[in-house]
Amino acid sequence: MKKYIVKRTLLIFLTLFLITLLSYTIIRIAPGDYTTLKLGMEGALKAGSISQEILEQEKKLYGLDKPVIVGYAEWLAKFVRLDFGISRKDGRPVLTRIGEALPITLILNVISMIIIYIISIPMGIVSAVKKDKAFDRVSSLILFLLYSLPHFWIGLILLLYMASGEYLNLFPLGGIRSDWAAGAGFIPRLIDFCWHLVLPVITLTYGEFAFLARYTRANMLEVISQQYIMTARAKGLSNKRVIFIHAFRNSLIPLVTLMATLLPGLLGGTVIVESIFSIPGMGLLAYEAILSRDIPVIMAITTIAAILTLAGILAADLLYSLVDPRIRLEAKI
Amino acid sequence: MLSEQLLDSNKPAIYGRYYMMTELKVHVRFLITISGILLLLVGCAGLFPEKDPHTIKLYLGAEPDTLNPITATDASSHAINLRIYETLVDRDYDTLEVIPMLAERWEISPDKMKFRFFLKKGVYWSDGIELTADDVVYSYKKIMDPKVASAQLKVYYIDIKSCRKINKYTIEFLYSRPYYLALIFCGGMPIVPRHIFDNGTDFNTHKNGRFPVGTGPYTFERWDTGRNITLVRNEGYRGKKAMIRRVVYKIIFDPSAAFQMLKKGDIDVMGLREIEWARQTGSERFNEHFYKLKYYLSTFSYVGWNEDRIFFKDRRVRLAMTLLINRRDIRDKLLFGLGEIVSGPFYIFGKSYDRDIKPWPYDPARAVRLLKQAGWVDHDGDGILDKDGKKFSFTFTISSGSRFAERLGSIMKEDLSKVGIQMDINRFEWAVFLQKIQSRNFDATALGWSDPDFQDDPYQIWHSSQIKGGSNYIGFSNKEADRIIEKTRLEFDEKIRIKMYHRFQEILHHEQPYTFLFTTPALVAVSRRFENVLVHTRGLNFLEWKVRKVQ
Repeated sequence: MKKYIVKRTLLIFLTLFLITLLSYTIIRIAPGDYTTLKLGMEGALKAGSISQEILEQEKKLYGLDKPVIVGYAEWLAKFVRLDFGISRKDGRPVLTRIGEALPITLILNVISMIIIYIISIPMGIVSAVKKDKAFDRVSSLILFLLYSLPHFWIGLILLLYMASGEYLNLFPLGGIRSDWAAGAGFIPRLIDFCWHLVLPVITLTYGEFAFLARYTRANMLEVISQQYIMTARAKGLSNKRVIFIHAFRNSLIPLVTLMATLLPGLLGGTVIVESIFSIPGMGLLAYEAILSRDIPVIMAITTIAAILTLAGILAADLLYSLVDPRIRLEAKI
Repeated sequence: MLSEQLLDSNKPAIYGRYYMMTELKVHVRFLITISGILLLLVGCAGLFPEKDPHTIKLYLGAEPDTLNPITATDASSHAINLRIYETLVDRDYDTLEVIPMLAERWEISPDKMKFRFFLKKGVYWSDGIELTADDVVYSYKKIMDPKVASAQLKVYYIDIKSCRKINKYTIEFLYSRPYYLALIFCGGMPIVPRHIFDNGTDFNTHKNGRFPVGTGPYTFERWDTGRNITLVRNEGYRGKKAMIRRVVYKIIFDPSAAFQMLKKGDIDVMGLREIEWARQTGSERFNEHFYKLKYYLSTFSYVGWNEDRIFFKDRRVRLAMTLLINRRDIRDKLLFGLGEIVSGPFYIFGKSYDRDIKPWPYDPARAVRLLKQAGWVDHDGDGILDKDGKKFSFTFTISSGSRFAERLGSIMKEDLSKVGIQMDINRFEWAVFLQKIQSRNFDATALGWSDPDFQDDPYQIWHSSQIKGGSNYIGFSNKEADRIIEKTRLEFDEKIRIKMYHRFQEILHHEQPYTFLFTTPALVAVSRRFENVLVHTRGLNFLEWKVRKVQ
């Protein structure tokens, strides 16, 4: 087991190295760079050959004149000291910017995920138990309907009908806190914050039930058809006990694989929801960094996401052996 | 100088917004049930304190990069810095005349090479230190410093040989050659406080980029990243005090959400899109609460034809293309009739623009004749024009963010196919698009130019020296035009300059390097909480607005 973990960890470092090298190379060779974009938008720097010199001068400031591999080596040297560098956009440390964007994204994602799990897992179980009955059919129809509604549309409908004041005026039109909240006490501030989160959380969750509910339902159905369930029933156990004690716990094992996507998923924001509700989260940070070719920010987000994904996969594998003793981890990979 | 702007590039490509949704009232009931559960939370809506009438809330579509005026390049930071920082001279909001700001007067040498500015005495930075010639010289040195990321400014000051302090209140700029815009350029240079910036730290990442200290009518209060930037009135300001005490710039990424905020009263001023102006702001309720202001600035949109391409080398073909684009129809369909069709690059209501040169009409029959003269006929009968075995088939390259260009492209594609020209539309992400344009790797494109300072100088876009690496990426080259451009830069007599510009516009009209499309008006909604909201040549200026008394 120990050997296995060591081997896997070493492999993670190698994978991480390749991921970052690849990401860096892709950003660098993609058309457009920070300086040209910044000035191209402004357009002023198109006044001929003298300005070409100025452009080169400015590229030097950001190390864009160096070959890709040298640039990567410099980035790596900083990264191993946990220095993600300075954001091109506003000259502040990348970690400060991530530190500003991450908490709100994390809160939104944790709340959304809890809601998604609380609603879809029971729904999946009930659907499996009442397979092909009315509840199963209707609930899956509704879930898939919700699943197919686009976020930007629902987000704007929610804003228009529930926040704009033209129909209802129940919620704020975006942002994460009211102007008056800065000076208020903790409790009003918390209420204000939750009040701002309602619409974004609805937009983030409504479409996500379908996948998990169907997943749970499929697992559950498989477990129910096992012989030991029949044994449990033959023993004369109540249906409730059979489903919740024997079947449910075993049906959770495949859910462990979802762990791998859970960790990086917590960090990622969605550009559309964040932009509709004016939430300065990770999605917008990443999106904007990519559009402006802000390499230090892009690299930091990619690297963190890669680390979390790899850690998630490892954690999932380890958990497997815990929840299902039949699975043994060998050092052979 | 002109700056390039993508047609409605800041607007996300989200189609079918709430005008589509009015038919969906059924949803309301369903949503109310959900919200019933949340009513507890909503109870706190009553906590709203009274809004301060002396605060103005403005809309920012993007967060500024920095508020350091020397390294900032984006429109958001310019809008904010305009209130915090001042320059040596200003331009009158109506006449565009150069007027004193930090300098009380200036002298220009007879050879137009030396510009001497005399600073007003007793101008203080908002931290209480007096502004002196040292600040001006320091700012110039920083702009030209290779270690400072100010390339966008450096190009303006290449022709300055030196900037030196004569005494505590006098500065002199020495130019290496005369240029009629020199006064506006050196007088409009951003000036930063030396005593704050000159502390041995890196200029580009100096913390003052997020805590600006200026001499202007407002001072910086706070910056909540991703949310608000707040300014308060500079109580020590030497000039006339504005009535609005506090300015909150609200950063809202989604324009549709911002428009809802405007209607709800969370924003006081906002630029509207054509559809919002024409379709969504007509209600009595809206007009009770907002002024709708429409005014023209110096901008125009165009279709540019790459003259390197075999089709567009020929003037007759370019003219035929213009005659084939039904601009009146396109304006009415895509822009709800908002905009004027232009025939040249200058500000349509300015002196440099010759209104006697009328835009070419929509005339497909004449276009076909011109194409025939140029040798483009359907020889092989496949429905597509050809010449010397080459088919008339080209690509229209646009940025994927521009809805206008997208829709313009579809209309052009259809109209051109009727006369046997095949056009494909190619969309690219902005960075890739920009590279295609700059490397001249395109056939035709649609873009817009804006000249926010009404400088008119056509050098950047039209001089043949700007084909390589410059903004003349369509490759326009005309000896007479070059001569006019060079001469006007040295001509200080406005009347003569205007005459030459009129001739220049005539050349462009004849040559049709661009198919000039429209100049579209700024469409702005301003809350009726304010009075004295005047429209000037340069636009709106909230410094002069009065707050309406609440009954």
